[in-house]
Amino acid sequence: MIDITQRQELSAKTHKRRTSLKRRLQHFEPSLIVFLIVAAVLVFLVVNPLARLVITSLQTGDGAAWTLGNYVAAYNRERYLQALVNSLMLGGAVSALCILFAVPIAWGVSRTDMPLKGTVRVLVLGAFITPPYLGAIAWILLAGPNAGWLNQLFVAVTGAEEGLFDIYSFPGLIFIIAIYSFPYLFIFTSAALEVVSSELEDAANILGAGTLRTTLRVTLPMVLPAILGGVVVTFLEAIALFGSPALIAVPARINVVTTQLWQFFGTPARPEVAAAYAMPLLVVTIALFAWQRSMMRRKGFVALTGKGGERRILALGPWRWALLGYALVVLSLSVVLPYAVLAQAAFTKAWGRGLSLDNFTLDNFHYILFEHHMARQSVFNSFTYAAATACLAIAIALFIAFIAVRRMVPFARVLSFLCMAPFVIPGIVLAIGFYAAYASPPLSLYGTAWILILAFTTRFLPIAYANAEAAVRSLNPEMEEAVRILGGSRLTALRRVTAPLLKSSLIGAWLLVFIPATRELSAAIFLYGPETRTMSVMLFDMSEEGNFEHLAALGFLLLAASVVLVGLGYRFLGRDFMLRRG
Amino acid sequence: MRGARIGTLLLLGCCIGGSALADAKVLEEGARKDGELTWYVSQVNGVTAEAAGNAFTDLYPGVKVNVVRITTQVAYQRVRQELRNKAVVCDVLSTTDIAQYSALKKEGELAKVAPANAAGLSAAFQNFDPDGYYYPTFAGEVVIAYNTEKVKPEEAPKNWRDLLEPNWNGKLALGHPGFSGYAGNWVVLMRRLYSWDYFETLEKNDPLVTRSIIDTVTYLNSGERWVAVSPSASLLESRDKGNPVGIVYPTDGAVLMIAPSAVLAKAPHPNAARLFMNFLVGPEFAKIAVKSRGESIRSDVPSLPGVKTVDQIKTIRASEKESIEDLPKVIEDWRDTFGG
Repeated sequence: MIDITQRQELSAKTHKRRTSLKRRLQHFEPSLIVFLIVAAVLVFLVVNPLARLVITSLQTGDGAAWTLGNYVAAYNRERYLQALVNSLMLGGAVSALCILFAVPIAWGVSRTDMPLKGTVRVLVLGAFITPPYLGAIAWILLAGPNAGWLNQLFVAVTGAEEGLFDIYSFPGLIFIIAIYSFPYLFIFTSAALEVVSSELEDAANILGAGTLRTTLRVTLPMVLPAILGGVVVTFLEAIALFGSPALIAVPARINVVTTQLWQFFGTPARPEVAAAYAMPLLVVTIALFAWQRSMMRRKGFVALTGKGGERRILALGPWRWALLGYALVVLSLSVVLPYAVLAQAAFTKAWGRGLSLDNFTLDNFHYILFEHHMARQSVFNSFTYAAATACLAIAIALFIAFIAVRRMVPFARVLSFLCMAPFVIPGIVLAIGFYAAYASPPLSLYGTAWILILAFTTRFLPIAYANAEAAVRSLNPEMEEAVRILGGSRLTALRRVTAPLLKSSLIGAWLLVFIPATRELSAAIFLYGPETRTMSVMLFDMSEEGNFEHLAALGFLLLAASVVLVGLGYRFLGRDFMLRRG
Repeated sequence: MRGARIGTLLLLGCCIGGSALADAKVLEEGARKDGELTWYVSQVNGVTAEAAGNAFTDLYPGVKVNVVRITTQVAYQRVRQELRNKAVVCDVLSTTDIAQYSALKKEGELAKVAPANAAGLSAAFQNFDPDGYYYPTFAGEVVIAYNTEKVKPEEAPKNWRDLLEPNWNGKLALGHPGFSGYAGNWVVLMRRLYSWDYFETLEKNDPLVTRSIIDTVTYLNSGERWVAVSPSASLLESRDKGNPVGIVYPTDGAVLMIAPSAVLAKAPHPNAARLFMNFLVGPEFAKIAVKSRGESIRSDVPSLPGVKTVDQIKTIRASEKESIEDLPKVIEDWRDTFGG
């Protein structure tokens, strides 16, 4: 056994990899079984739901005949097209705003002597772990045009007739999505800035360029690929979100793709039209990724090797306070103000009555924890499903990353492509595919925890895979070989060398899957059953009754649990574990 | 199937004249075996729905109620999905759109039930469905609501057309017919009374549109909106809690809503579902509904003082035909006119 695998590893390194399948079948090798198992898992999680989606879009409602009618039905109304245009505009505007928010803060934290960097990082992390729909609810209380805190303050101070802000508007929607999407861009940008060496900046300085010019013409262009990567992610996040549009765009009477998709499931339900309508979303995402790749290929970004070079902190003088001020304003908008207003709601009998001792109560927490039959369960559900998802996704990703990086099986690149593919599928579209594939008999997964866990696993597999692959790549096989040469078994090598080396990056990756999984809404809203409701679904249902006091209390529980987990992450991995790119 | 058979047996039992008490015992035992049931409900708010679920379990220990409080159209969407995928989870459906029940009944997706408590319903609520597939479980009106701190009683709108006045621009809240059954019925009736022009003009007043119509009351409480189209029950409950809201029964007619409940034919917990249905038409649930300022549908449970009953106000009501034929159309028209 060992010999075969060993020899095969060797041959994989030295010989051409492409061995015909026929020959492999003749000389039957265990690697083929491994490949088939892994491929089967990926077909189940990725290929089948996607294929179902495409097939559904090309069939009549009863599945009896092939048709293009669904595409006609999906695009023959001005309103449907308008939703598509709105979503694209939303994505573009959110990305632009995220650049404005994230890049200066990332630059300040990574390259300058801006004070209070630790606080800024923690607050960015706070924005990252805040579910966007919870933030949206907080902003309804803050910037409702007539009664929002900020508007009341504005009216009180200026004596104006009307408030300044209207969250129920297209700019309001852009803003509310941007303040919770910019951490992605921050993570990408600051990680890249941290590995750019100062040599080129020095050269620019010597040639007479000032700080501003150097930063704009040298430093930032060098991290452009990272910024582009972040822009693509924020764009996709913005067009695929369901919660914030449902909370802000429905009252404001703006239609976007995700709310339109939801409408196709109303009466009479037309999943086939929904599937057809979802296709451009897929095309847009794939096109974006292609664009990003070609941008990166065209320019040789050699400065990003991460090797050598010294990195110096830029002294900004008094400007460092201005930069800190800017960072704190942005972070107040996304973290400080929303949580202040949520706290006020969670601890009061009626949030509209303001802060006073006779309005203070703990009843909302009591109701959520002890009177509401599902709320406590939903907290438990969210965390167990997220944990199961993280374990499953990391296990699959690690396994595939290992055999793909070490080229232990044929078609390894196909496997890694399939792992990354779900990244281009918005949650709501993925849910439609999962529903079509696994809700009905024979599997009948609808209403069970499994359909949620599996959908989440697929959804977050790319995060897990990107991290696992990076971790495996950073391992030099020579270390394992050293164990083998010294007489240790393969298992010993795995247990005593590989596992300890991978441990910290895997815990980091686990948390990177776990945290978004605890707040997942767009897939869960389609797939939940009465007993498998997650916290995100509960929050969403409560929001439609305007039950803000109970909702805020539940939101606080979610926050508290996340803070505990992040605290544990800090303890194990050092304080910036989540702000590092995998 | 098993449920249907037991149901038939029960029905037979009644016809042959077997003791009703013995039947109740059989049903209760069956329900205990089922152990739980799932209730999709939009007729009452989440807090009331949870209270009803708890009261049922207190009455019948060992039978848990999975309360799923969602809007009328979302509940129906889920039931449709479940039927389509042959994975029925819902046992009892309690929404506010009668068209749903008539469609499900026609397709044989509702169970014929004979809850003993139905005999105690007030005369006006008897024989709601002569075939016994669905029963009324909640009643209330769609009315005009206003914030008393922002609007003086004499300035408040008196009828539905007053909502078109430009001074309510940016101050109105409405429910979305694509989610809320109450809002759907209101839209159907406004269209009947004043044609679609009513909504073309209303749109110019830039109303805020909430998914659940109950949410309009929240926006009034906070002063975010000044005037709203709201359900009477939630509004009165909020007023009685001390919030600054007032009620206007429009002179051109409050929209009367009689909201039905039914047991699904393929309910996975058929006995628990039937027992729960009996509970919903019985005095226990009526008391809970009345406490949430619903109108009493039973002669033995009086409405709360301050809650006007149908005979005291002018009401209008969508016919079953209107609900079935017009509602899907007005939802589409609404989306075209209002966007979103």
